Amino acid sequence: MIWNKIIFGGLGRRGFEAVVAGLVLAAASALVAGSLMIIEGGRYALTQAERTDRPEIVQIRSRFNRALFETPRSGNLPPLTLPVYEPLIEPEQLSSAARDGMIVARQSLFRNVVSSDRFLNVYIFGIDPVAEGQVSGFPLTRGRFLRSDDGAVAVLDEASASALGVDIGKTFPVRKADGEDLDLTVVGIIGKLELRDAPPRTVEAPALTENSSFVSSGVFVTLHTSETIFGRTALTDALVIARTPADVPSLVDNLRETFRLEPGVFVTERYSQFSRKVHDFVLTLSLFTLIATATVVLAGSFAANLLHDVFADRRRHYAILIALGVSPARVAHAVLSLGLAVAFAGTITAVLTAVFFRPKEFALPSLMANLGTIEPRFNLLVAAVIAATALAAVALGITPTGWRLLRRPLATALADNRG
Amino acid sequence: MSPLVSIRCVTKSYGRGSTAVKALDNVSLDARLGELVQLTGPSGAGKTTLLNLISALDRPDMGEILVAGANVTGLSLSKAAKYRNEQVGIIFQSYNLLPQLTALENVLVPMIPNGRVDRERAFELLDAVGLVDRSAHRPAQLSGGEQQRVAIARALANDPLLVLADEPTGNLDDENARNVMTLLFRTCRGRGNTLIVVTHDRDIMRTADTVFELRNGIIARVRATDTKERPGPKLKA
Repeated sequence: MIWNKIIFGGLGRRGFEAVVAGLVLAAASALVAGSLMIIEGGRYALTQAERTDRPEIVQIRSRFNRALFETPRSGNLPPLTLPVYEPLIEPEQLSSAARDGMIVARQSLFRNVVSSDRFLNVYIFGIDPVAEGQVSGFPLTRGRFLRSDDGAVAVLDEASASALGVDIGKTFPVRKADGEDLDLTVVGIIGKLELRDAPPRTVEAPALTENSSFVSSGVFVTLHTSETIFGRTALTDALVIARTPADVPSLVDNLRETFRLEPGVFVTERYSQFSRKVHDFVLTLSLFTLIATATVVLAGSFAANLLHDVFADRRRHYAILIALGVSPARVAHAVLSLGLAVAFAGTITAVLTAVFFRPKEFALPSLMANLGTIEPRFNLLVAAVIAATALAAVALGITPTGWRLLRRPLATALADNRG
Repeated sequence: MSPLVSIRCVTKSYGRGSTAVKALDNVSLDARLGELVQLTGPSGAGKTTLLNLISALDRPDMGEILVAGANVTGLSLSKAAKYRNEQVGIIFQSYNLLPQLTALENVLVPMIPNGRVDRERAFELLDAVGLVDRSAHRPAQLSGGEQQRVAIARALANDPLLVLADEPTGNLDDENARNVMTLLFRTCRGRGNTLIVVTHDRDIMRTADTVFELRNGIIARVRATDTKERPGPKLKA
C-alpha cells in the first residue's frame, strides 16, 4: 500500500502530464498501428498474390478452334462442332525454349462419351501426374491419383462420375482418333478441382462449380494415355515454371522467339502484373513507414519530454528513498513501474483503438491501383512495434533522471530544489 | 573505547581545474558511541559536505571514514543504501518527507527495505516526538516544526547507532527550533545514539559533548565539555 503510494502518489499537476503523455502515446501508437496494419495488409495481399498468381509460372497455349464431334449412334442428330484447343505445341520445341524451367505439359481435350441413345460432354486432360501435382490440387474423395506409369486408367471428378454413372473400378469408353473406343478404368474420384490455368468453359458439361467461366471438372489421364486418344504428341497447352520470378522475362522472350512462326501459340505471364503489385507495395511501405516514423519521432519525443518532466520532478523523491536506505534496484522498480504504467495504458488504448476501429477494407487507388483493396491486418509485429514505441518514449523520459541518480552523488539530487 | 565514527584525513573538492573549490581539506575527527557532536562554522565551511560523506551520500577525494569499524567511503550505491538503512538516521534541513505519504507512512519508509513495517513502533516514535495525533496528516498539513519532528521519528525508525542532522532547525522559528533541538538531543541521549548535528545554535554548544568548528574546509577549533577547549589544526593561509 505504502509502496503503491510511493510509486503513483503525489504526482500533482505532473499527474496530468503523465496522463497527457499516455494519451499522446496512445494516439501516436494508434497512428503507427494504423500505418503498420496497412503495410501488413499490403504484405499479406502481396503474399497471397504470390501464392495464387504464381508469378514464376508462364503459360503457353494454343488457340481455340472448332472440332467435329460425333453424336449418338441412334437418333437423328448431326455431328457437333465445338471449340477446343488446337495441338500446336511440339514438346521438343517447348523443351528447348524452356531451358532450365520446369515444364508442366498438358493435352486438354474435349470428348463426348457416346452411348447408343445419348452422349455426354466431358473434358479430358492428359497430364504428367508428378509435375501437375506441383501447380494444381486434386483432393481425392475416393481411390487414388494417377501414377506416371498408369495405362488406360482415369481419375475424374464426382460430377462427371455421377453423370457417366461410374465409380471406382468401373470403365467408360472414349473414342480415339483412329475411331476405336478406349475403355478407361476409374481409379480415383476427386471432390474439388484446383487446376491451375484451367481452360475456359466453352460447352455444357458436368461441373463442380456451377456458373464458373473456367472448367471445374474433368477426366484426368496420363499424357501417354491422352496421346493414345489424341493420336499425336503435340500439346494443347503447358505451364513453364521459371527457377525464380526474375527469370520470367527472359523465359517469355525465349518462348516467344521459339514459337514466333506459329501464330496460334500464345505465351502469357503474370510476372508483369505481379511486379506492378510489388511496386505498389513498395510505395505503400515507403509512404506509411514515413508516416509511422514521423509520428514516432514527433509524438514520441513529445511524450518523452512530458515524462521527463514527470520523472525529473520525482527525482528528489527517489533520492530521498535511496538516502533512507531503500535499495537502488527497488527505487528503479518504482521508476519503471510508473513509466511502464503510462506505456501500458498508452499501448492498450492504442491496440484497442486500432483493433476496434480498423476498417475492413482499405484502398488507395492513386497508390495501390494494382494491389487493389487490402484488409488492414493487426498482428504480433504491429503489437511489438507499438509496445516498443511506448517503451522507447518511456525510456527516453526516464533516462536523464536515472542517469543523474546513478552517476551523480546522491547529495546533489537531495540538494536539487526541483520537486 | 574505539570511536563509532572515525574520519581520517578526508579531502573533498567540487568542480575542476581553476574553478575547483576545496570543501574539506584533510579533516580528521572521531565520535564515540552515544556522543553528541556539534559541527558549526560559517556557510561554505564544509559541514554539510562532511555529513554527506559520513552518510555515504557522497564520496571523498581522499581519506577514509570508518563507521563501526567499516570503511564507508568506497561503498557501491546499493551497499551504501544498506549501510544508511541499518546504521544511520538522517535528518535534513528541508525535512525531505515524501509529500504523498502521511506522517506515519513517512516514518515507516525506512522499515520497508528490511521487510518489517512495524506500525506500532512508528506510532511509538511519533508519540515520542509528540505527533501521534497527527499521524494521518500529510506533510503539507503539518507545520515546519511538526515536519521536522516527523523527520526525527523517521531517522530513529530503525534504531540506528548514528544520527546525522544537517541544520535541522534551519527552517524553523526560534521557539520551534529550540523544541526540535531539545527533542533531538533528549531522544538521542536517551537512546544512546551518537548524534552529529550541524547547527549554528549557540545554546546547543553547552549541551553537546564535543563541538567542532569548521572554517574553509578544515577544523579550526574543537571544544569538549569534559576537557578544556583545545585549538584545532592550523588554519590554512
